[in-house]
Formats: sequence, structure tokens, C-alpha cells
Amino acid sequence: MTVVLHDASSIRLIGACPADDAEALLQLLVGHPAAEIDWRGCESAHAAVIQVLLVANRPVRGPPAGPFLNRFIGPAMGSSG
Amino acid sequence: MNEFVEQFLLESRDLVAQATDDLLALEEKPDDRDRLDGAFRAFHTLKGAAGIVDFAAMARTLHAAEDILATIRSSEGVIEPGVLNECLTCLDLTARWLDAMETNGETPATADAEADDMIARLTASLDTDEQGPIAPPASDWLDRLRVEPNAQSGGPCTALRYIPDQDAFFRGHDPMALIAALPNLLRVDLVLTDPATSLDTMNTFACALDIVALTGAAADDVRAALAGADGAVDIRELAAPRAIQPDSVRSKAISLLEAQLLVLRDASADGLTGRLASVGRTAINALICLDRQEAAAAVERAAATAQAVPSAAPLLEAIERALADGRPEQPNDTARSPSHAPRALRVDMNRIDALVKLTGELIVLKNAVGHAAKLSQESTDPAVLAGTLREQHALFDRLAKEMQAAVLRIRVLPLRSVFRRFPKLVREIAGSVGKTIRLVTEGEDTEADAAIVDALFEPLLHVLRNAIDHGIENPTRRAAAGKPSFGTVILRARRDADNVVIDIEDDGGGIDIARVRAVAAERTIASPETLTGMTDGEAANLIFAAGFSTAAAVTDLSGRGVGMDSVKAAVERLGGRVTLETRPGIGTAVALILPFSLMMTPVMTVEVAGQAFGLPLDNVLETTIVDRSRVIPIGSGQAVVLRDRTVPLIDLADMLDVRHSPLDQTHAKVVVLSVGTQIAGLEVDRLGERMDVLLKPMDGLLAGVNGIAGTTLLGDGRVLIVLDTEEMLR
Repeated sequence: MTVVLHDASSIRLIGACPADDAEALLQLLVGHPAAEIDWRGCESAHAAVIQVLLVANRPVRGPPAGPFLNRFIGPAMGSSG
Repeated sequence: MNEFVEQFLLESRDLVAQATDDLLALEEKPDDRDRLDGAFRAFHTLKGAAGIVDFAAMARTLHAAEDILATIRSSEGVIEPGVLNECLTCLDLTARWLDAMETNGETPATADAEADDMIARLTASLDTDEQGPIAPPASDWLDRLRVEPNAQSGGPCTALRYIPDQDAFFRGHDPMALIAALPNLLRVDLVLTDPATSLDTMNTFACALDIVALTGAAADDVRAALAGADGAVDIRELAAPRAIQPDSVRSKAISLLEAQLLVLRDASADGLTGRLASVGRTAINALICLDRQEAAAAVERAAATAQAVPSAAPLLEAIERALADGRPEQPNDTARSPSHAPRALRVDMNRIDALVKLTGELIVLKNAVGHAAKLSQESTDPAVLAGTLREQHALFDRLAKEMQAAVLRIRVLPLRSVFRRFPKLVREIAGSVGKTIRLVTEGEDTEADAAIVDALFEPLLHVLRNAIDHGIENPTRRAAAGKPSFGTVILRARRDADNVVIDIEDDGGGIDIARVRAVAAERTIASPETLTGMTDGEAANLIFAAGFSTAAAVTDLSGRGVGMDSVKAAVERLGGRVTLETRPGIGTAVALILPFSLMMTPVMTVEVAGQAFGLPLDNVLETTIVDRSRVIPIGSGQAVVLRDRTVPLIDLADMLDVRHSPLDQTHAKVVVLSVGTQIAGLEVDRLGERMDVLLKPMDGLLAGVNGIAGTTLLGDGRVLIVLDTEEMLR
């Protein structure tokens, strides 16, 4: 599992998040409307996961570990690290 | 050639054929949506395949064609023939590339230029009709990229918008990985195709991303990187393309990296952790700027290790390594040794299953023979044993025959695979000489050995060209003769006993025999005496003679110096023959008669000086016994009158230089052979039997021996040499 809930307050993305994580992430987001997203441990994420982040439009705690996420996706989502 | 490329060639050929079929069918019935979908799928898969083997030119050409088909698919309008034509041309080009790849094992060097041409033609074909532009006209998405004023000044700059297919995730694609892999990525902007999407309503399996990105790479590179992309891709070049990264940016980044090394080497220990963090960050950024993501990642890991120790060494080492590898990456050397892998064959599963079944039966039989062998040791009654053996032999005989038939079936292909290339070619050829031709193909399901089917294209094309260029009259002459203005050419395949016959019939003016005779005399193809002695039918066959061409004007179609003689030569190489029939004012029919299989050769055995030889049965007209008193010496040779015809008589023993005295002083046993138009008698000591053999061509030291077609083994273990009768009578 590369998407985990931590202390019921933050949803952590860890390592390389495959497409399957999108559904898990969505369920966590829906189940914990107040939880923030922490992607500091995230190396890379499948487009499906990024899409969920985009839809969620929730504060994201960064910067992410992966350079591509950090340099391009973070700014593209309108939130920075 | 590596395995991928082999597979690629195999599959791509199938796809090209399938797409061609669909497009041609679409031409007949423009509203056939199934065919349109089929063609679209074939183009799409082809494009994907090209991406896998890194054949960028092919991928982008097919992408352009696919775009056009997608536009046609989404519109309800009638399909313009011009568009289909360009798509067909695109497939032709692809087929040529595949051929080149098969010969050289690498992508052809001219492909890029050809691809540019083709894409321009494809785009132009769509502009002429009212289908509307391929992509939305808006440049609005460009506004989403706020181009930093001083970034990449002077360098190439390409913007792209990529809207992946909805089911991209489902198919296992990661559009973001494609974007991440773009060379010199500068900026990315992400929006959702439907801004109203919320967490409650979204479907994580459907892709709803609209990605816009800016790169510092040339448009072609971006196109190549996105060749495998599913969905709509729009690429715009924003500045003059320049293939290399601006040196200024490069050198700045490198000097920055070098400066970090100095900072790290500074011996003073105070504030090491802070220094490590800042150096790490700077180095990573510099490397990202150089588009060296892996190096950046390595430095990042080293920075973490350095922080943990804490020591400058790991980071120092990582940056040094990054600098050492910093030379621009060489493009992958794709040059592979040009090897000619054996042609692969696609075989129907049922045919393999039949073989498996037969193998099973063979094993049962093997056990039975083992049992019989044991019986023979146990002093069983010889009569019983003989019966068992005979029975088993009969069974073995049946199995061997079935096995042979099954193996031969594997090599068999329907002629459709070559026939389907002709409708388009015929139309083009007819168009170039201002004629309208209706090509009727029949019997495409007729099967023949794969080697024959493969080799038939050239000769057939040549005969068709001749029929169109020389056979069919121009429309005015046709009208005068009371014929329909369009000419009809029939291309028919049929099985005739052990042969496959291909008829090419036209309803043209027939061959001008007088002219053929005149040209033959002029070009000294035959002596005047021979010519006068020839019937009209024989004279017509002169068009197959080497160096014959009756075209008054040399067109770019036929009459290029290779005449019908090349057809004859090609067909004869396959073990077949060509016949021609022509009737003035009614038309000409050419028939290519080919063996069904190249593997089995029926031969007749003869014996001379105690040794057995084989003669191909195809060339044997008859066998006869002649009284020696009827043999007439002519010059140094001999002749005999058979059926009111003087036939030269050749003694096989003389020819093979195995002189002996004839066994029978009063009678001569003669095999009458016919090769082409020649007939000759061959004297032998004994006439043997007829058998079907698998001819093994001569190889090794004996490969150069003339006059021998091949060898096979006889039942008693002797080698049977099969003579090449054509060589003998030459």
C-alpha cells in the first residue's frame, strides 16, 4: 500500500504510486474530508493518482520526493511545497 | 535482427494488409462504418507498434493518417476518395519502409523526409474537403502556459496539448509518464476536461486530464516522444527549432555544479549540514535544468546519505559522477548487423493440431512395430509375422502420407494475400495511361505453397501492366469497336489437378501477330524461316522471348526493357510455365501454371549403365520403344521419326559419359521429353517407375554442378540423382 492514512489527519503518498492507488486515495479523501495530503514521500505518481489530487483540490504538504512531481506537477496543481 | 523487430515486421505486414483491405472496401461502400472502424484500429495498432521499435517517422506518419480517419469517423459526411487515396499511399509507404527494414535490419534513413511529405499530403487531403480541421482551431490552450520571458531564448520551444483517451488508464497507459519523459520539459499545466468533477462523482478509472506542456525540445522530438500516446495530441512549435540545448544554459548549469564541488571540498567543518542541504538542492536543480533526471535523483539520494552521516563525501562523489557523465547522451546506436532471418509463416492452429494428432498415431504405431520385433525373436510363425508387418506397413504408409500432406498444408497460403494488392495498383496504372479498367478477381481462396504465393507478385504485376498498357485499347478505339468504354481484366486463380493456374484475361484488342512477327524478325529473335513456319499461336508466344517489346512508345509502365520474358523466367523458376492465347479484337488470356507445392516433385526413374536417374515427370511426354533401324544419323547426332515428327535422339549414357554397349541391339527405349517448345528423345537402358520425391537441392561442394536438379533417397538406400532436363536440352 503506497497510500496510507496517518493519525486520521493526513493521507500519505509513499514511493511510486500506481494507478490502483487512485481508488484507495479517493476513498480516503471521501472518508476523511478534513485530512490533508502529504506527498513528501512520493517518488512518482500515476496520472490517475494525480487526477484524484487535482479533483480533490485540497492542501498538499510537500515538497514531494520525486523531481518531476516537485518541479512540474506541484506548480501545475496550484499548490507548492 | 532482434526478436522485437521480427515480430514487429510480421504484425505490421498483417496490419497494413488489413488496413488496405478495409480502405479498399470503404472505397466501394463509403458508408460502411465497420470497415472504417477496422481501418482506424489497424492504423492505431500500427502506430503503436512503430512506437515500440522506436520508428518515429512511421509512428508520426500513421498518427497523421489516424487523425484523419478519426475525423472521418466522427463526422457523418461522405468520405472523399482523395482522402482514402492518401491513406492508401500512406500504407504503401509503410510497406516500403517495412521492406527496407527487413533487408537492412534498421529503419530506413530517408524515412524522416518521406514522413514529412506524407504528413503534408495527408493534411492537405483533408483540407480540400469540408470535414473541418483535425484539432480545434483555438490557440486558447497556449494561454495556459505563461512562458517565462527569458527562458530558453533562441532555443527551440514547443508547446503541446495532450488529452488522453478516457480509457487510457484502463489500457494501462500512464499519460503522466509520457509527459515526464518529454525531453527538456519546461512547464506543465493540468486541468480537468470537466471542471465540475468532484470527489463524489469522479471515476478514478476514466482519464479526464487535459495536459498542456512546454518543452525546450524541437517539435519533431516531442512528436516522437508522444508517438505512442492514446488520444488527441496537438503540437505547436513556438520558436525556430534548434536541436541542441543552448550552450549558455548548459555551460551555466555545469559551472554551477562545479562550484558546488568547491563548496563541499571546503575543509572548514562548521555548518556542514546546512551546506549539504543547499549544495544538494542547487545540484539537483542544475541537473534537472540539464534534463538529467536520473542524475538528479542520484544526487538527491546521496544528499540524504550525506545528511545522515554527516559527511560531504557521498554528495561530492555523486556530483562528480554526474559531471563525468554530463556529456550529451549519444543517440542509441540502432545499427544492427543486417541479417536475413528466415521468413516467418503464420499457421492456422488447426493445421498444427492435425500434426499433433498424427504424431500421436505415429507413436502408437512405433509401439506396435516394437511388439512385432519381439514376436520375430520368439520364433513366431513367419506367416503370422509377415501378416503383422504388412499390416503395420500399410498403416505406416497411410500415416506418412497424411503427415506429409499435413506438413505441406502448413506451407500453404491463399492467393488472396497477393491478389489484394492489385485492385489499387491496377487503378493507378490505368489512370496513368488514361484508361478505365475494371479488375475482376476470382478464386482468391485458392491455395498454393507460400514460396509460390510470395514470388507471384512481380510476374503477375507485369502481366497486368501489359494487359492494361498494351492489351486494353484506348476508350475511343473501344467505342469504335462497339465495346464498353472501360476495359475488363480478369484475374482468376484455380486448382487444376496438381497445379495452381492463374489466368489473366483482358477484353482488349488482342496481340497484333503481324507486328510481333515483324519485330521478332527485326530484333533477330527468330530466323525468317522459323518465323514463316510458325503458326499464329506460336508467333504470339514470341512475346515471351528475351529482349522483346512491342510497345511503339516506351511508357513508364511496361516496355522498360524487361518484357514478358521476365515473367516467363520467374514462373519457370517456380517450376511452372506460361501459356498465352490471343484473339484479335476479343482479347488475350495469359495463364501461369504453377505446381501446387514446391516440395513434392513427381519423377520417373530410368536406368543407364546400371545406375538409376530421375527425370522430372512434368517434362516427360511419353515413353516408347523404337526399332534401331528407324534411328537416322544426322550429322554427329541421331534422330528418330515419332508421330510424323522428327525428334532428336540423345543417348543418356553418352551424355553422362558412362559409355557402354546398348543392352538391346535391336530396340531402343526412349523417353520423349518436352522442354518449352523443344521435344527430344532420350535413350535409356531401362524405364523405371513413377514416384513423388522430396527433392534435395545440391549443396556444399556439389552446389555448382550443372544438369542436376537435386537428389533423393530410394527405398533401398541408393541415391537417386534427378536430372535437370532443361539444362540437358539447352
